[in-house]
Amino acid sequence: MAAPAERQVRISRVAGRYLVFDIDDVVHIRRHYGICAVLTGTMPQNPTQNLFLGLPIELHAEEARLLVDKGAGYIADELTDHLSQLSVMDASTRKAYLQHLKQQRRNAQQVFDEEKAKVQAKHQGKRKAKPAAVTETTAAVTETEEDTSLFDTPKPPSTTLTTTTPKEPSLPGVTPTTSAPLIPSPTPPSPAVGIPRPANYPLYNYLNARGYYTTPGLRFGGDYSVYPGDPFRYHAHYLANSYGWDVEVAMLDLVASGRLGTAVKKSFLFGAEKPVEEGSGADGGGEGGGGGEVRVFCIEWAGM
Amino acid sequence: MSLDDDDNPSLALPAPLLSPSSSSSSPLPADPATAAAAAAATDDLTAEDLIEDEGAASQDFRAFAAALQFRKTAGVSAQTIRRGEKDFEAHGTRAQADALEQSRAAMRDVLSYTRVHPAGKRGDLARGWYFPAWWEGYREEEVGGEEGGGGGGSGSGKEGREGEKKPFGFVRERVVVLEGSSVASQALGRAVTGQAKDRPARGRDWLLPEEALYLVERGSLDLWWPLKGLEELFPPDGTTEAVKEEGAEADEVDEYDAGFPLSLQAAYALLIGNDGERGKISLQKFQVYSNLKRCGYNVLRAPPTVNHPTTKPATTTLWQWFASLLTRTPHHPPYGPLVQPGLYRSYASIYRQMTLLPRHVPSATSLTTTTQPAMRDPFTIHFHVWKSAQKWSKLRHPPPDFQLAVVDAQASAVPTGGEIAALLGATPPEPGKPEWAGPGRLYARLKHGYRNVLVAVVDHGVINYMRFAEGRFGAEELYGRFDHHRGGGGDWVGVGLAMIPGNVIVDSIISYYLLK
Repeated sequence: MAAPAERQVRISRVAGRYLVFDIDDVVHIRRHYGICAVLTGTMPQNPTQNLFLGLPIELHAEEARLLVDKGAGYIADELTDHLSQLSVMDASTRKAYLQHLKQQRRNAQQVFDEEKAKVQAKHQGKRKAKPAAVTETTAAVTETEEDTSLFDTPKPPSTTLTTTTPKEPSLPGVTPTTSAPLIPSPTPPSPAVGIPRPANYPLYNYLNARGYYTTPGLRFGGDYSVYPGDPFRYHAHYLANSYGWDVEVAMLDLVASGRLGTAVKKSFLFGAEKPVEEGSGADGGGEGGGGGEVRVFCIEWAGM
Repeated sequence: MSLDDDDNPSLALPAPLLSPSSSSSSPLPADPATAAAAAAATDDLTAEDLIEDEGAASQDFRAFAAALQFRKTAGVSAQTIRRGEKDFEAHGTRAQADALEQSRAAMRDVLSYTRVHPAGKRGDLARGWYFPAWWEGYREEEVGGEEGGGGGGSGSGKEGREGEKKPFGFVRERVVVLEGSSVASQALGRAVTGQAKDRPARGRDWLLPEEALYLVERGSLDLWWPLKGLEELFPPDGTTEAVKEEGAEADEVDEYDAGFPLSLQAAYALLIGNDGERGKISLQKFQVYSNLKRCGYNVLRAPPTVNHPTTKPATTTLWQWFASLLTRTPHHPPYGPLVQPGLYRSYASIYRQMTLLPRHVPSATSLTTTTQPAMRDPFTIHFHVWKSAQKWSKLRHPPPDFQLAVVDAQASAVPTGGEIAALLGATPPEPGKPEWAGPGRLYARLKHGYRNVLVAVVDHGVINYMRFAEGRFGAEELYGRFDHHRGGGGDWVGVGLAMIPGNVIVDSIISYYLLK
């Protein structure tokens, strides 16, 4: 998991939650840092289903902290950034942003045109292939062709108002996913906004350092579901819970989680971080993430 | 639109979308050219068919996604579709690595989609302007004053009054004004009525933050940051045509003169906030909201409960008192038989004497009168949810199908009895379907409960729904049934032998025969 150090992932903090909006960032942290997180947004291509979700992804605080610790990302407080940028916007930024938008709109238009051309070509091909085709299909074809031809002409409906300067036949509007052109990333990514160390961080860090991927463990009643690799390919092996070093774990919790884990073909994993003693060196090994040693145990229901 | 919106694309694609091409080719099986053409069409994917079905106007970038072969996007969510195809662990083969790369590439391609709002019909462009401070000083009570009383009656007489009165509008929370009317405004947004004629943007629909963000995310709304005031954008005069002309002219000069579009990221930044912030919604609540909306439910914010529990109890306790007079709860002497000796003509009177333990009988008022805990914040009813129905509208709708609270998985624990009681007390009784009456559907009734409330638990974007219901075991008296199929007198005693403790039976039998 050697990662190119140059890319800085912008982790948006919105109301205490950590989100990532840039698809390149999402792919980057997935590939190089073993963080897949959860896609939470509605997919605009297909907005009435819950199987495939889109951007943004929501990170655990542990994941955000890990990225910051590894120097791969920075936390940005989106609200203050946006408000400060939006309310007092200098002309050059605005111009650049609008230019960017316009470019995107042109691209969209281009894609539209290409698709339209393709459709038309296809229809024409069909027509030649079967001149005596069924009336239904021809009707459909002509209909759609009318439709498309109507769109080829530069907006006939509102010609009364336009002065018909044919510079831009009203480009489609675009909602960009990120505000990247609007809010320039800070050139020296400032770790000004920090993250308090979450309680589960040692265990998370331990798992992540060993190449495990984690997703929220709500479905199995744990802190995480732990995957041996990218969840695209693998099933979860463990459901993990993090405890404090001196916390007395109720036996029944172990039984319950152990049985549950076995029932869903996973094993129950739990771990804690040994507190660093005063005398010994502060950085006790790289894997602990600045803390002490992490011990991890696994419980499986033997059913003997 | 409906075709590919419906379901997961990889499942929906093959069957319905291929049918037009195959049906068109079927009448001419003899013609080899057509058959070949049809085969070719099916071969080089169905992207074109998709476009054909949608019409070129509304297809936007979807063609992009379609050209990616929807099938591959199955990797995007991994969990459900590819369950059978996943491996146990890495075995270092290239096939495995390739499959993973494909999944990643598909995710990347699909998610790089940019939301596009087709040009052309200018009037249909759904554009929202962000005016967070416009309704800040608005006091909803002025308009919804009686509405508070109506909300108070939500315990019992809900539909009668609320059908007339508009539901609570959360006007202070509304931050995005909708320009033009779109399909979305049938179910979302609210025009604030009762405004003076000279107010700007009169009659416009205003969106709540979750509604606006949901629409933006869905690609149905273009959210703009205004550079001009609301007065300039929507002049107070009612002449909408003038507004439009002006807008069109402004387009010619500089379409970004009045403002500019915001990104999805900016929309999140502006519309997501902490609980209790005006004009914002917490991320967890928004995730639940959009999850339900994607499923097709109608979701509205639950109106605030104003002095709900305090109004009713006085009258209802009176009723309860009357009821208690009628049933005459038996008084037990400190010794002696549990069931007093005497003549009994029904089982009900015997069993009534035997009920020693108090039990919970759900009634329309029981929860609110006995315990009156107020709902505390995580366990509060946040949303009202309706199953999708034709006649539902944002202003006129039946009582909600579900009442929902949203909690965070990390920040909250299992609710205490008091919290659940408060939640249930705030929901109207909902004893189940009318056809569940009678002994045959006893278990359906028990399972359904008397009132119920849903709790959505959110763990970083993963949502689980839980249902808490008020048990109604106390309302299901089994002994009432014994009296129904009573035959003659002998039969009556025979059944009694099996059911009643010894000494009581002896007593009652003796008295029975003595009287005979």
